[in-house]
Amino acid sequence: MNENDAEIIEEATDEAVEKGLERLTSERISEVINQVLHKETGARFKAYVDTCMRCGLCSDACSYFLSNDRDPRFSPAAKVKQTIWEMLDKKGKVSKDFLRRAVHIAHLECNVCRRCSMYCPFGIDMAYMMLLVRRICHKLEITPQYIQDTVNSHSVTMNQMWVKEDEWIDTLQWQEEDGREEFEDLRIPLDKQGADIMYSVIAPEPKFQAGLIYQAAVIMHAAGMNWTMPSRPGWDNSNMAMFTGDNEISGRIARTFFETAAKLNVKRIVMGECGHAFRSTYDVGNRQLAWTMAPIEVVHAIEFYHELLTAGRITIKEKFSKKVTLHDPCNVSRGRGLHDMARKIVAMTCSDFVEMTPNREHNLCCGAGGGVINCGPPYKKERMRNNRAKAEQLAATGAEVLIAPCHNCHSGLEDIIHHYNLNMEVKFLGDVLFETMEKKIYRPGE
Amino acid sequence: MKQWVFFMVFILIMGISGLVFSREDQERLDPSAFETPRRPGAVFSHDGHNEKAGLSDNCALCHHVYENKQLVEGESSEDKTCSDCHGLKSGPENGIPLVRAFHARCRECHFDSGKGPVLCGQCHMKE
Amino acid sequence: MNAFIGFIMGPMVWISAMIFIFGLLIKFIFIIKEVREKEQYLLSYMTVRHSLRSICAWLIPFYPRSTRLRPVYYGVSYLFHILLFVLPVFLFSHIVLMDQSLNLSWPALHDGAADILTLAVILALVFFSLRRRLEPDVRFLTSVKDHLLILMVLLPFVTGFLAYHQVFLYEWMVIAHVLSGEFLLIIIPFSRFSHMITAPLTRAYTGSEFGHVRHAKDW
Repeated sequence: MNENDAEIIEEATDEAVEKGLERLTSERISEVINQVLHKETGARFKAYVDTCMRCGLCSDACSYFLSNDRDPRFSPAAKVKQTIWEMLDKKGKVSKDFLRRAVHIAHLECNVCRRCSMYCPFGIDMAYMMLLVRRICHKLEITPQYIQDTVNSHSVTMNQMWVKEDEWIDTLQWQEEDGREEFEDLRIPLDKQGADIMYSVIAPEPKFQAGLIYQAAVIMHAAGMNWTMPSRPGWDNSNMAMFTGDNEISGRIARTFFETAAKLNVKRIVMGECGHAFRSTYDVGNRQLAWTMAPIEVVHAIEFYHELLTAGRITIKEKFSKKVTLHDPCNVSRGRGLHDMARKIVAMTCSDFVEMTPNREHNLCCGAGGGVINCGPPYKKERMRNNRAKAEQLAATGAEVLIAPCHNCHSGLEDIIHHYNLNMEVKFLGDVLFETMEKKIYRPGE
Repeated sequence: MKQWVFFMVFILIMGISGLVFSREDQERLDPSAFETPRRPGAVFSHDGHNEKAGLSDNCALCHHVYENKQLVEGESSEDKTCSDCHGLKSGPENGIPLVRAFHARCRECHFDSGKGPVLCGQCHMKE
Repeated sequence: MNAFIGFIMGPMVWISAMIFIFGLLIKFIFIIKEVREKEQYLLSYMTVRHSLRSICAWLIPFYPRSTRLRPVYYGVSYLFHILLFVLPVFLFSHIVLMDQSLNLSWPALHDGAADILTLAVILALVFFSLRRRLEPDVRFLTSVKDHLLILMVLLPFVTGFLAYHQVFLYEWMVIAHVLSGEFLLIIIPFSRFSHMITAPLTRAYTGSEFGHVRHAKDW
């Protein structure tokens, strides 16, 4: 690298960012930056900034660093240097070009996967600092267009994809109808008061992956669960506002979600295979509502499937025979330690399993999560370039099927597989379970 | 850069000259009372020191006599070595072990009088 | 001159030691106080068990994966940090001075060993400095400040080494040694050297979040 690399000029690619920058005055910029960095943070932030000894051990944690031939600009600490340190040094008086670069770093060169805090000897949470930068961008109204649109959707409809209330109910009833052709008593119970389980999904499922709801209904039916789905807003457990630093809307989403479950008086919430939604409900949203832990138990699909299989509520008819590998999504492995449970499910459902390395907490991020894929098509080529390390990791397994129990990972990995011509099929854990399970018709009392 | 090279050369020359022009033999205190002396005996010329310090008729200042931890006035102990009373290891019978006795006697007096060496290597010069 | 030496080797030692100890202590108290005022919730996620689990895991050499990826740097750094404490505390000359002023003494390192270990510290610091120039990702993160920090640690060790060998300008070397050592102690609470106490805190917090909330390892 040469000395000038630090001052690369970011291209103006995103309309929302550009229009936002045009509106800004230098007073507004420094006011917002100082407000966020000094009023919205405390001793933890100061300790993170003061403690970093610039040792570079975090570099190897970052898939962006690894994918870009160890380009120093992609080291996690370097991303903090190019954003937070500079903002602090200049007391918030930064230029628009600096901000354009900061938006890019925080939104497109970091998946907030938290792998770096496992590689920093001091455990400095660099993802937290990237989220602070996103918070600043949000308050300056320079968030990338596509992801901002999902937040707007959340704000209006309480779901991520502008799904209307009637569309939602319609989709559920359509899946129920399809299901009943095969399983005569199958139901998708709406708003069933006092059910054991509220099943919750992310908006892309009714929008274009309705088959997943069908699968979930079959699994629930075969296992004989007492479950329900809400018909009113609050059914979507995703939360893109969490990733744009729009804490206010993020809090509204989490509140609506938990209130919906509380009104249904369910014992616990089971959610489909989504990582960021799990992070939002298990780790972040509850804190925004001042709950130490989620007020109603939140169970990720991995945990739920594991429970059904070990309790014998679901039996496997014939194991999946293709060679499979497992991708550990950051938000359920680093975020909840479910990696071993996922392996047990794979062992129970598949006969040929190969590990990818590194794995478990150390798995490389899919490169799509943390809101990166949600910044949309303008950035897809760049994202593919930044996912090279992941592609190499996948190719090394030689597996035919890649199991990824997370929606974000799923989409990101599909892109990687197409771009790098890897001959792999991506499946959810639920897909595998659905294919291999005994699809019996549940009759009460059996 | 030039300054840096100059500085390094300077250090090197000083170092070599320090080794080449080794010091002439000096009168030293006898360190043989120490089982395993860690430093060379302190440079000390008895008569020269006392003349300079004006101690020629105050032998008992160093060659003192203590009984029951009380200084015995008017008596002195030129016939003994320091190590006869000050043992190596401190203990109830040996309140001031030898190392501390030497340092207290020499170094502290030099501080009090504002004269004489007080840094380790000024007395324990390399042989 | 003796009065000056008497001051820097007497009261000044205690003054700098007090600034060092109380500086860190006050820093610690302020951090806890600020957390209680502004981010009280952080404490509700901290557990002793997971804090210690994480700190201990990171104290075992080459146990965390991160440290195995850069073994040379990590190994040098690990030994360097141990020596940084062991050498000054167990150095014979320092113990003699301690014995002289407080009648306190403890076993000392063999002088020859201490000499070699001092060289090791100096070489480690030279290595850190070179690494800051040669390793691209570290170089990108490095500013003048980082080299200054290295220099501040280097000075007391180099001057101490030269003074021990009485190579040249002995008196000035000792004075430089004492002053640079005291300066280092004083600067610790006010610089990034305060990672002495903040690093265990950040590690404990991350360890608690990973262990207690997320049921995962963080090493």
